Amino acid sequence: MADKRKSLIKIKPKKFKDGEVVKVSFMVMHPMATGTTKNKKTKELIPAKFINNVKFNYNGKEITNMTVWEALSTNPVFTTYMKINGKGKLTVTYTDNTGEVNEKSKKIKPKG
Amino acid sequence: MQRRDFFKKLGVVAAVSAVAPVISFAGDKPKSKNAMSYATAVSAITGGKTPKKSAKVKLKVPEIAENGAVVPVTVNVESPMTSSDYVKAIHILAAKNFNSRCIDVNLTPANGKAMFSTRIKLGGTQEVSALVELSNGDFLIATQSVKVTIGGCG
Repeated sequence: MADKRKSLIKIKPKKFKDGEVVKVSFMVMHPMATGTTKNKKTKELIPAKFINNVKFNYNGKEITNMTVWEALSTNPVFTTYMKINGKGKLTVTYTDNTGEVNEKSKKIKPKG
Repeated sequence: MQRRDFFKKLGVVAAVSAVAPVISFAGDKPKSKNAMSYATAVSAITGGKTPKKSAKVKLKVPEIAENGAVVPVTVNVESPMTSSDYVKAIHILAAKNFNSRCIDVNLTPANGKAMFSTRIKLGGTQEVSALVELSNGDFLIATQSVKVTIGGCG
């Protein structure tokens, strides 16, 4: 866990029941530099820095595993669906091409 | 420095900085080691199989993107998502980017719904496609062209 980036896990709808399928979005503040762009002032190459891999883990089980390449926008958003299966924790782990690993988790409490 | 000289120099600086982005765009482009053409990307994913065009895959991309740096992409696949019949992976490809592969999403039945959405960068006007791998080994594809007014990958 090198430096902590600003990230957010959003679940829609906010209140959900057990067994329901909900939308999960994961947002992170990341430059996603491709390594081919130049700084317009200094004309130096901006070194590549992009997210390589994103994993969604729910109660120790891997739900979604994404291999990411350069072509994602700055401050990327990843949205999928997820089936609620009891109380637990959703953990998102993301890895950088420079080896930076970060984690973000959110508690999941189904009602009813 | 005299006032006159100062303004002359200022003019030169302004002219150079206005032209510079054009030069850097047209000049020698640094190549990434991840560079991959569309055909090699498709064959790397499918392993030689030809993907079928299908109406089951719904790709939602704007037809005209004003800014190539942020293009929202949504892929929706009709699937029951049971343990015997589910969508294994969704790949988003951009044909003319230096690396055609944007993202590979590996799904499991625990997702409940085969849908993925994100925002990608496009270097210019090109075709965006969603390549879907089903659990029985079939590949489906949906393609749409996107017009980009300002490129995103300098």
